[in-house]
Amino acid sequence: MFKRTQPVTDPVTIYFEDRDIVAQRGEPVAAALLAAGVHVFRTSPLSNSPRAPLCMIGNCFECLLEIDGESNRQACRARVQDGMRVRKQQGVRALEENDEG
Amino acid sequence: MKADVVVVGAGPAGMSAAMVLSGAGASVYVVDEQPAPGGQIYRAIERPGNVARYGEDYAAGADIVGKFRGTDIEVCYETSVWDIEGGASPRVGLANPGRAQLVDTRHIILATGAMERALPFPGWTLPGVMGVGAAQILLKESGLVPEGRVVIAGTGPLALLYARQMVEAGSKPECVLDTGSAGVPVGLWWHLARALATDAGALFKGLAWVRELRNAGVRRMCNVRSLRAFGTDRLEAVEYTHNGTVHRVEADTLLIHDGVVPNTHLALAAGCEHRWNELQCCWTPLVDENGATTRTGISIAGDGAGIAGAEAAACRGRIAAHHVARLLGLIDERQCRLGYAADCRRLSRIRVLREFLDRQYRPASATGTPHDDTEICRCEEVTAGQIREVAALGCMGPNQGKAFTRCGMGPCMGRQCGDTVSQILAEYHHLPVADIGHYRIRPPVRPITVGQLADLE
Amino acid sequence: MKDYDVAVVGGGLLGSSFGYGLSARGARTLVLDEGDNAIRTALGNFGLVWVQGKGLGMPEYAQWSLKASAEWSGFADRLRQETGIDTCFHRPGGFNLCLDDDELATNLELLSSLRREAGDGGYDYEVIDAAELKRLIPIVGDLAGGTYCPHDGHCNPLLLLRALHAGFSANGGEYRPRSHVNQVKSCSDGGFLLLSKNGDALGAAHKVVIAAGHGSPDLGRQVGLDITTHPDQGQVLVTERVQPMLEYPTNYVRQTDDGTFLLGPSTRDVGFDLSTESGTLRDIARRCTRAFPLLKNLRVQRSWAALRIMTPDGFPTYQQSDTHPGAFSFSCHSGVTLAANHALLTPDWILSGSIPREYDVFHPKRFDVQKNAAGH
Repeated sequence: MFKRTQPVTDPVTIYFEDRDIVAQRGEPVAAALLAAGVHVFRTSPLSNSPRAPLCMIGNCFECLLEIDGESNRQACRARVQDGMRVRKQQGVRALEENDEG
Repeated sequence: MKADVVVVGAGPAGMSAAMVLSGAGASVYVVDEQPAPGGQIYRAIERPGNVARYGEDYAAGADIVGKFRGTDIEVCYETSVWDIEGGASPRVGLANPGRAQLVDTRHIILATGAMERALPFPGWTLPGVMGVGAAQILLKESGLVPEGRVVIAGTGPLALLYARQMVEAGSKPECVLDTGSAGVPVGLWWHLARALATDAGALFKGLAWVRELRNAGVRRMCNVRSLRAFGTDRLEAVEYTHNGTVHRVEADTLLIHDGVVPNTHLALAAGCEHRWNELQCCWTPLVDENGATTRTGISIAGDGAGIAGAEAAACRGRIAAHHVARLLGLIDERQCRLGYAADCRRLSRIRVLREFLDRQYRPASATGTPHDDTEICRCEEVTAGQIREVAALGCMGPNQGKAFTRCGMGPCMGRQCGDTVSQILAEYHHLPVADIGHYRIRPPVRPITVGQLADLE
Repeated sequence: MKDYDVAVVGGGLLGSSFGYGLSARGARTLVLDEGDNAIRTALGNFGLVWVQGKGLGMPEYAQWSLKASAEWSGFADRLRQETGIDTCFHRPGGFNLCLDDDELATNLELLSSLRREAGDGGYDYEVIDAAELKRLIPIVGDLAGGTYCPHDGHCNPLLLLRALHAGFSANGGEYRPRSHVNQVKSCSDGGFLLLSKNGDALGAAHKVVIAAGHGSPDLGRQVGLDITTHPDQGQVLVTERVQPMLEYPTNYVRQTDDGTFLLGPSTRDVGFDLSTESGTLRDIARRCTRAFPLLKNLRVQRSWAALRIMTPDGFPTYQQSDTHPGAFSFSCHSGVTLAANHALLTPDWILSGSIPREYDVFHPKRFDVQKNAAGH
């Protein structure tokens, strides 16, 4: 559980699952979600255990989320942009036909 | 894309190195994963108000960042390095979300800094358990502070500093569970005396933090052992042993810290030799006093070469850069020696303080390896017990262990489990860790897609 | 009386298959292996249990591979029952994918030659055109076509090695790692003594089996065994885990039970260099995304390189020593496919003291014949 000690000065709206979240443009997506009270980011592929950020420097790969349709993105390295759509990474990713490059 | 020197990392070491080399006339590319310079230690230092908020050590970074911004050195921000090839024609593989490319260069300086040492214990994978350094990044990036019942556990100056920053930001930890000792053991008084003689300020600062926490009413226990975290979908409680008694405290957030270790993956992937540092219980690249590794064309500066702190990082960045400038024929031997003489002196002083800190703040793994039921490899959910099982089958090192259990094969590629696995196997086989060895690391060191690889020229 | 009936030098796929089979028959068996930092080709396999396309010029090898494939299912069951380890063996048949018409033509010529060589024995494969390929493997790209063989399959080669080690240990076999054999000496009272570089005795046995991968030639020389191999470097890309999408193993790509995709193959002559090279990785990525465009957006989690043990003609060399009876050597690059034979059949040859005549074709004296033939 994290709270903001400074107000959001450049607010944008991102969407997490079925929620609207107001966040600071350009902050790490992980920070925006933790500030909004999100505890669980993903479930692990092997045992479906709940996981959340550990290191915040891109080394632990625990903060994986689906961002704008792309699976397994590290939320600590992704930066908030207006309108971003974020979903939990549930277990192993799927690969859709429209994923073709 | 070509450059005389590629510097990986825009922290104090990287920025210092780049400025020296640029000043000597080299074409330099600096690559960093963040959108702004500062590395992790000076992270988000340009965010409005940060310089005033988070202490004088942090604020000192504004100066070097300001100087760096004032140069015309080319920087690729939000860019990862996924491959390093040393030798006669060094190459660096870069990737950002758009594309991957290879850069030809004459020399590479790795300044990738440090990461928090993994501190595995039962339940450490629960949401709500995160690193103290991670929490500090949330503070610097977004002004976030944990609320509710917050426990800080582990050892090292950063844990104390952060506890203080938390209090200043208006949030108080339930308690600080220090796995280290209360005072300074007699055996370290000589190191302490020497450290006081060279940098009393740093030590008194630490004492001041302890006092401030006490005055703020934060409970601090020392010699804490046997951490365990409990909860179903997230952290609910923390257990620990103190003075032989098991205690349980309800908690929403557990911030852990067991010191920092070098980020070694790029150096390992490049084939640089590493040594096991007995005192710091981590693999460290083998470098000489100029930062040169065992691979031609690759130098390492800063905490990535061995933990010594931000000031030392800047010194080593400048020393390495002078050495590379000399190698490239941009300066001569005399200019090189003059250029880094002051930094060498500073480093000698810093080393004395380091020698005390390394002994005062030994990592938890120095006293024992995790229980069988502790998940060592978080990515592949492999426990210490499963590692010991294959050790019994004759696995003598982490690479065979990886093959038999998948430990180290997940996305983090052994960053969280590598040091622990080597220690578990060493303990099981009654061999020095140096004999056990480390993971073989291969590119890509940061994730890139199959498509990005296919599109490489 | 020696400590062991058989000492096996090498704990890779060959050595541990032999060790497993020998110990299962009650032979007192010692397996001597190197340490964690050895070349260990055993840890660098694609995981195919493959029959299609093998044995041109040596129909016996095609038959040998077919036999292995037929035995594999029972072999996997047995390993699972004895050790609890599932080697993830599946045999839905496999595809040789052909990216363009040239590739298809070359492949068809190879297979029809193999069918001719097999004669009355028959040779199973089906030609699959582009449309049929798309129907069978919906995620495949626009390719010229392919060939299908019902005897092809795949497994997890790392779990195979682990199961062999576990089974060997359960059978009472002794595995000694960090025991690099430098010398094999004949003993005056029969049998062999194995020594380290320092001259320390590593073990003594009535028979010795040299299955030391790239280390075999040096050891073989000492006991009258002529072993000629050279390293052939292959690199592989491994992706992140994905939901199951590809049931069939193919010559370029397979999806593992863990959900990761393995992308290959490649071949390079770089001596004993185990480093990966970005150009080769790029070429693998290009070919495999042509075969499966879907792969483009998958992250590459890691890559690795391994050194195949290649004999002069690529076919196995099996031999026993004429000058040092009781010494055997086995070298091949298909340790995964042939594991079933090496575990279930070959141990009998070793224990009986001689390799059956029907396998004479695998004797390296064939290279003398080839050399002489080339001279004409």
